[in-house]
Amino acid sequence: MKLSSKRSSRFLGTRVLNVLIRLMTVIILLFFWEFSVRLGWISSFEFPPPSRLMETLIMLITDGFPRGITAWIHVLATVMRILQGYALATVMAIPMGILIGRSKILVRASNPVITFARSVATISLLPLAVAWFGVGEFARVLLITYGCFWIILTNTIDGVQQVDPDYHRAAQMMGTSPSQLFFRVILPASLPRIFSGMKVALGMAFLVIVAVEMIGTIQGLGALIQQSRTFFRSDIAMVGMLFMGIFGYFLSIVLDWLERILLPWSKGLEEVER
Amino acid sequence: MTNSNNNKHKISIINVTKQFDAETIERGLALKDISFNVESNEFVTIVGRSGCGKTTLLNIIAGFLKPTSGTILKDGDPIRAPGPDRGMVFQHASLFPWLTAIKNIEFGPKNQGIPKEKRIKLANELIKLVRLEGSENKYPRELSGGMRQRVAIARALALDPDILLMDEPFGALDELTRSEMQSELLRIWEARKKTVIFVTHSIFEAIYLSDRIIVLSPHPGQVSKNIKIDIPRPRNRSSQPFLELYEDIHEAIF
Repeated sequence: MKLSSKRSSRFLGTRVLNVLIRLMTVIILLFFWEFSVRLGWISSFEFPPPSRLMETLIMLITDGFPRGITAWIHVLATVMRILQGYALATVMAIPMGILIGRSKILVRASNPVITFARSVATISLLPLAVAWFGVGEFARVLLITYGCFWIILTNTIDGVQQVDPDYHRAAQMMGTSPSQLFFRVILPASLPRIFSGMKVALGMAFLVIVAVEMIGTIQGLGALIQQSRTFFRSDIAMVGMLFMGIFGYFLSIVLDWLERILLPWSKGLEEVER
Repeated sequence: MTNSNNNKHKISIINVTKQFDAETIERGLALKDISFNVESNEFVTIVGRSGCGKTTLLNIIAGFLKPTSGTILKDGDPIRAPGPDRGMVFQHASLFPWLTAIKNIEFGPKNQGIPKEKRIKLANELIKLVRLEGSENKYPRELSGGMRQRVAIARALALDPDILLMDEPFGALDELTRSEMQSELLRIWEARKKTVIFVTHSIFEAIYLSDRIIVLSPHPGQVSKNIKIDIPRPRNRSSQPFLELYEDIHEAIF
């Protein structure tokens, strides 16, 4: 007890120091950027300085760009699309992956289709999606789903297949019924792999969203960035990127937190391992 | 003990042969004509070099594998599938990493529908038996190798099997932990009185633990010796009879 609290306070100290170091790096870089522009080393048109970006940020939050469409509306549109597409992919891919992973024949049969579908870059499906479903929300959400689906599916299949055969045997010797085997052994044993698939898929959702928001809509961070190009406003493009980054960072924190709660046995205990 | 019919052995292994698929029949032949009996409450160790088929034999007794020919009788009835009457301790413990120590022990009773109160009481007794008080709520990854095997033994005992099958359970432990676990196993065996079939490649371990040793020779696995050990327990690993026995078995293996 004593030892662990001592260790954790030292651990906390190192963490604070790490955060400070990272913060300092960012601040120094920002200062360097600001002064480079002020001293005329780089053009303020192409590289609007942090002070300018700050003004743009406030403008985006209060007035919006185009006028009336505030940052909040853009962020919300993007969040909704990602969440819908991602949730749809997750809900379909996990059960299907478990089903396939449990059968050697299905794994072999589905392999060519999955490998092919995965190799098709999602963004290259954009013209087709537009032709089939128009430029509405449906096409956008569906493309995000497509990008995420295959990643979660393959990870789920692998997760189920890689369950230690000794877990099966241990369960068998304890008189476990098929449904107990599924819910109490196969599912928990493959969860870590499923989760890591979900994390990779989230990155994919961010790749796809920017592209699909560049056509047919003026709402969303991708649309904002696209509009800024039309009006030669690199400051708006940069603030759009900033929003994107913050949003992505926030979502991955949520996923990490979920993982710690759902899989306490799998993460965060490295220190204790002997 | 109530033994049915004409068979008074706990387990009878009768002419068991196991052939795996391989390029040549010779290479795929893992076990050839294995026959021996195990009596009730007896501690029998199968010893042999790696690849002599001892784990295959244990898996057939457990019901995980089917023999190509021959039968295994338990209390006179043939073994067909794995069941809670035979508890198994695996080489790498194979605890469920998502369950704490005590939940691992409760796993079997829970699946069998034993009410919560009863199975918690049962699990706590087993925790005490394997001396893991204070670690019951730890996850397997927080436990040392020896502690994991203690949980594995408790888990195997949870459904009160009459036979305990152990597949090189101490093979991955360091030497000190290993000899500690050997004495612990004997203590638990004395307390619970089970029939134990133990697999190892360590001759010392086999002599220290067993009532009887079955020596398997490899390619294909065959019984080359069936030795009863009469040295009283606890056995001194450096005593004269112990070392003589070691020489005997060592010779039989090669």
